[in-house]
Amino acid sequence: MSTTETREVLLARYGELWLKGKNRGNFERRLARNVRRALKTVAPGCTVEREHGMLVVRPAQRAREATQRLQEVFGLSSISPARKTMREFEAIAETSLEAMRAALARYPDDAPIPFRVETRRSDKRFHLTSVQLDRQIGECVMAEFGPRLSVNLSKPELVLGINVRAEQVYVFAERIPGAGGLPVGSVGRVVSLFSGGIDSPVASWMAMKRGLEVIFSSFHSYPYVGASFLRKAEKLVRRLTRFQNSALFCATPLTRIQEAIRDGAPKGYRTVLYRRAMQRIATRIAEDEGAGGLVTGECVGQVASQTLENMRCIQDVSDLPVLRPLVAFDKSETIALAKKIGTFELSIEPEPDCCTVFQPQHPILRARIDLCDEVESRLSMEELLAEAYERTERIPIAGLG
Amino acid sequence: MIYLDHAATTPLSPEVRAAIEPFLGESFGNPSSRHPLGVEAARAIERAREQIAFALGALDPERIYFTAGGTEANNLGVLGAARTRKRKGRHLLLGPTEHPSVRAAVQALESSGFEKEMLALRPGGALDLERAKQSLRNDTVLVAQMAVNNEFGSRYPIEELSELVRRNAPNAHLHVDAVQAIGKIPLSLLELNPDSLALSGHKLHGLKGAGALVLREEVRLTPLVFGGGQEGDVRPGTENVVGIVALGAAVESAVRVVEGTHGRLGDLRKKLAAELSALPGCELLAPDGGGPGGLSPAIAAVRMPGPPAEVWMHHLEQLGVYTSVGSACQSRTKRVSPGLSALGLDERSGRQVLRFSFSTTTSADEIRGAGAALFRVAGELRVRVS
Repeated sequence: MSTTETREVLLARYGELWLKGKNRGNFERRLARNVRRALKTVAPGCTVEREHGMLVVRPAQRAREATQRLQEVFGLSSISPARKTMREFEAIAETSLEAMRAALARYPDDAPIPFRVETRRSDKRFHLTSVQLDRQIGECVMAEFGPRLSVNLSKPELVLGINVRAEQVYVFAERIPGAGGLPVGSVGRVVSLFSGGIDSPVASWMAMKRGLEVIFSSFHSYPYVGASFLRKAEKLVRRLTRFQNSALFCATPLTRIQEAIRDGAPKGYRTVLYRRAMQRIATRIAEDEGAGGLVTGECVGQVASQTLENMRCIQDVSDLPVLRPLVAFDKSETIALAKKIGTFELSIEPEPDCCTVFQPQHPILRARIDLCDEVESRLSMEELLAEAYERTERIPIAGLG
Repeated sequence: MIYLDHAATTPLSPEVRAAIEPFLGESFGNPSSRHPLGVEAARAIERAREQIAFALGALDPERIYFTAGGTEANNLGVLGAARTRKRKGRHLLLGPTEHPSVRAAVQALESSGFEKEMLALRPGGALDLERAKQSLRNDTVLVAQMAVNNEFGSRYPIEELSELVRRNAPNAHLHVDAVQAIGKIPLSLLELNPDSLALSGHKLHGLKGAGALVLREEVRLTPLVFGGGQEGDVRPGTENVVGIVALGAAVESAVRVVEGTHGRLGDLRKKLAAELSALPGCELLAPDGGGPGGLSPAIAAVRMPGPPAEVWMHHLEQLGVYTSVGSACQSRTKRVSPGLSALGLDERSGRQVLRFSFSTTTSADEIRGAGAALFRVAGELRVRVS
């Protein structure tokens, strides 16, 4: 029998990809690539292979850490640390006992644990059927660990999985939920209007979850706010690269545009006009980077100015679809998600928001598109936008893997 | 670049840089090693100890304990003294404008059963010695008071406070945070007569990560870290040789010229005040230090007209003029500090305070340059100028 290192593997399953028909090969390749990248620092030297609708990861080291890391890779439905063995009943039984011994060590021994065996044969040529294997392995396990287990086929707590393949058999007693969703980059690219608040990181994460690669676009009002504002946004992007491995972070100075708007637009229109400018610049970035849409953290009615009229007025400047994953979220739901993905603590870091010197006390609730257009042409907005776009800093953020 | 944020940190001086050079290269020994390489490092540390001892007034060099900076020196002075004396009492007196490294240490003591009382400022910014006298008790075991206010440069009357403490609180340890004072104002350790005094290298053109606590003779401290006997076991751990050599050289050269520095800094402060007087709405805070103690001319706090000081700061930095908003260590909190409050500022006006701080390297030309930059920014920010 070979050494334990080579026998221990991680089975990474993907669920939804089955639905994707012709695209499946593309999705699988993308997922395998994302998994490899995710593990490059945590478990260097691991191999990732596609095998019959799942990925088999052979980490050279640190299987626990690798498992945890895989929970952050979108497109995986579950992960199982598994043992590889030969296609012989004796070997399967022995490996099953090993796997059960390890699994039982994690449970208290005060009450019997509901248990069952679940065999799947991808290769039907094996001499026992799934049902026969279930029963016979189950008997072996009960003979060894009887008092600690009670067979329960309908509501098991501990499931011993046996996967019979053409070349080998995988045995596992743990199924760790994956992040779900689709592999990042498999659906396309979007530009996220990224403020560094609580909402935009969550919105970006949700876009990633649905297979979109996110490019981050932030705006700053330096020197009315300090450079530390950008550092905060950058930290958040860095945090989100856990789910995307690497990202492009674009920082655009909005200062001149804001000054022009302050000086030449009706006070109540400032916010809407700022946002139109941001959306235009994000759209140009999208064109550059081959992105097909925008993502925002907007939510209907969250602040008084987030009205349908204002959204329409802002959206009017871009012909790209604007995704608003949080549109129907309560703030508390967004916060719960932000905590879960680890952006909340970074988002609430106080950053002196000197932009308040420009913020109107009473933003308009129903902005008119024709009025916006008129004001912008009076302010030579095109030139200002071109200049701001020109001065956009593009910072590649490499994830650690 | 016109760097006027020397109270936050200072650039390494060429003199200090030359002194540390060998210790970045071939002289890398561990001072505890007994071979020549170790002995060389140990000797360098002893020399730094002597430099500081002599610069501060011919103390016993063995009373200088090197730390990882001002924060640790303050922690060690406050926690070490209070814990050593806890059988004599539980009463602590805390200066009104102490650095967070002193305040937080006292807070830690409070949670282990000590009782804190605050010293107060009189309107105008002077330390209220009358009240201090009333607060001192037989069971007072620690008084912590900084030497120079780091927000607006007020110099606190440590000499008088020290007298009061000795007379009215015989069991008390007086800890003085002198991080903003050493090398900026002439100090006599004999007259200040503290039990412990904290200093930091990077405020004096030395390196970050090295500071010292100077202890009065006979004073015992409970250490914060435990280890292999270095620094008389008051602060064990392999010594930061480079930082300590830098600290020694920095303190020596700063104190050597402090009389001249003090006068020159005073001129610079006056010059800045003159430049500002042309900008209506600017107000130099505590122009004469706010009390009988006078001031450290290295710090000038100015209340700016119009938008918050942070906006001024970022506009000025675009023109290459570096200043700060309040004290860098407190700039993340939003409330007005007790010091500014004593000067009559509220939360809003407190945010309008811009701090300029100088050093031996600051020139009159730089002050002129800063004045011109202020004018330009006033225009950009549409603050009305005469």
